[in-house]
Amino acid sequence: MWKQPYFVIGFSIIAFFLIGSFVYEWIWGNVPRQIYYIMEGGRAVEGAPISPNWQFPLGSDEFGYDLLGKLMLGAKYTILAALAVGALRMLIAVPLGYILGTYLDKHRKWISSLADSMHYIPLTLFAAFVLTPVLWMPPEGFTNTIWERIGIQVVIMALLTVPIVAILIANEAALLRDKEYILAAKTLGAGRLRIIRQHLYPQMREKIAVLYGQQVMETFIVFAHLGLLKLFLGGTKVSYDPMFGDPPMSISYEWAGLFGSTFRYLQSAPWLPLAPVLFIGLTIFAVSLMMEGYLRSKNPKVKKLRKAKVEEPLVEWNREQLRNNMVRIKEQEMVKAEE
Amino acid sequence: MKLLLRFFIAIAGIILASSLPVLIAGWLKGEWRWNIYFESIRTTVQELWPINEMAFFNYRAQRPMPLFPNVFDYIIYSLEILFLALLVAVVVSLVLTVITMLLSEKSRERVKMALYFLESIPDLLIIMLAQLAVVLFFKQTGILVSKIAAVGDDRIYWLPVLCLAILPTIQLYRLAMLTFQEEERQMYVDLARALGFSRVYIVLVHMFRNAVVSVFFQSKKTMWFMLSNLFILELMFNLPGIMLFLRDNMYPAGFLVAVFSFFLPMFFLYSFGEWYFVRRMRGKGAV
Repeated sequence: MWKQPYFVIGFSIIAFFLIGSFVYEWIWGNVPRQIYYIMEGGRAVEGAPISPNWQFPLGSDEFGYDLLGKLMLGAKYTILAALAVGALRMLIAVPLGYILGTYLDKHRKWISSLADSMHYIPLTLFAAFVLTPVLWMPPEGFTNTIWERIGIQVVIMALLTVPIVAILIANEAALLRDKEYILAAKTLGAGRLRIIRQHLYPQMREKIAVLYGQQVMETFIVFAHLGLLKLFLGGTKVSYDPMFGDPPMSISYEWAGLFGSTFRYLQSAPWLPLAPVLFIGLTIFAVSLMMEGYLRSKNPKVKKLRKAKVEEPLVEWNREQLRNNMVRIKEQEMVKAEE
Repeated sequence: MKLLLRFFIAIAGIILASSLPVLIAGWLKGEWRWNIYFESIRTTVQELWPINEMAFFNYRAQRPMPLFPNVFDYIIYSLEILFLALLVAVVVSLVLTVITMLLSEKSRERVKMALYFLESIPDLLIIMLAQLAVVLFFKQTGILVSKIAAVGDDRIYWLPVLCLAILPTIQLYRLAMLTFQEEERQMYVDLARALGFSRVYIVLVHMFRNAVVSVFFQSKKTMWFMLSNLFILELMFNLPGIMLFLRDNMYPAGFLVAVFSFFLPMFFLYSFGEWYFVRRMRGKGAV
């Protein structure tokens, strides 16, 4: 696994963001540097938001905070939350799927059509609908801490698509269960639990790993979508002041919030919403690199097989030649017949 | 009959989901509010019954308006964009697949790899870049290719459809590539090749028919993904569609109306497709 360049590149991108995030906070504290205007030859040439330049690679936001610093500080919230959502979802869905696929196989059909109805509800919409009471600050303020809210959000988002993932695993397990070697194990007296542990799980380990990667990628997308709806990771600070209310704000510097609260600056300061989305895209890309690397390390045959196939000698029928030969043979026969 | 059962189970699932926020709000306070949950489901369903008496807050008119027939405008517009994008995605991805299948093995693998990584582009990025590009183009040349936001009730089509279609095209393209390559290993392809049919003919006539069926059965996930995208698209382009309608009516009944409005056409599309393909497969066997 560690010899696969794809895996290593993907892993190092994510590790860079995570370690960088903690190191940044450790060195510079949890407030990014702030600058109100740039001086050049004794005159202010640009006020906040400052466009990207060498000193501030990603520019600054409307209050003059360094955007790169904000993104680095926020990386840990977004990435860890997405990884946690995927992990929790798999932890619930995998055993559930196995139980559905083995013990409750008779009921699998109707449960799967119930879970199938989830496919008609857009995930973002569903998440927004269910999470609004958790994340939108009520007028009297939040009653729980930010970590509690992040925890609740992770649990709810994990639960949202558990039915779909569980059914996927159940169907896969049911397919495998009809294989001969499992029938043989059954005949030898293996119980269901043993079959799951010894046969089904090892067979499906790769599929489960890929599924986990897909869940993490999906979670990143949903986070970004929720950001657009002003539902930020760990809660949205809403100002209920009717006159001078601030726009809804994110409490931490997580990426969905950085994107969602700056989306309206798309035309005037495009780097503000673009940079967080680019970072999200980069992380998703890193996850897909890791998945590909993992798969390649598990099936190195793929490459060899392909090579072998290419080197196979191709017999090209030369039609012209064939025809000439046929004509010649025919002519010889005719000559013989005449003789 | 089986279809009808599945239809009602799916409806039951959606109704059960529609009142979930109540349960979660209770869970936050540390109690299980099953009673209120079922009460909420009951009132929602009751509310739905005389369906032409329902009224919803209309954001553009700034006052509550009766649901029918106003909502049809929203629904039709959303469905138009969704299905246009789907059509574009299906046609483009199939055409590209057929072309790619004619290439050599090596370049095919490269295309597949590129597609795999292209899939990780967030949809938000595509929409934002499209909007920026249109404005930039306008500033440079003075030609407005398309409006980037709908004002009032005017409708924009091709830019949203394009933005919505890009990612599903990539997904379907990759899916179709995998299916076609799977199909290529079948015996009948070897036979056809041995009989001297040209590659184009085999891909277009023989493999296409069989591969399209499994692409159809696997496309449900792409459709699901497109629905989320449609939601975001309507928000970012300010399109007067059903999703924007829902944002102003974030409570169980509004949620039900919005979900049903694309559940019904999609369910019928998939049921019809399944029925058609299954019947054809049974009738003739593999073509």
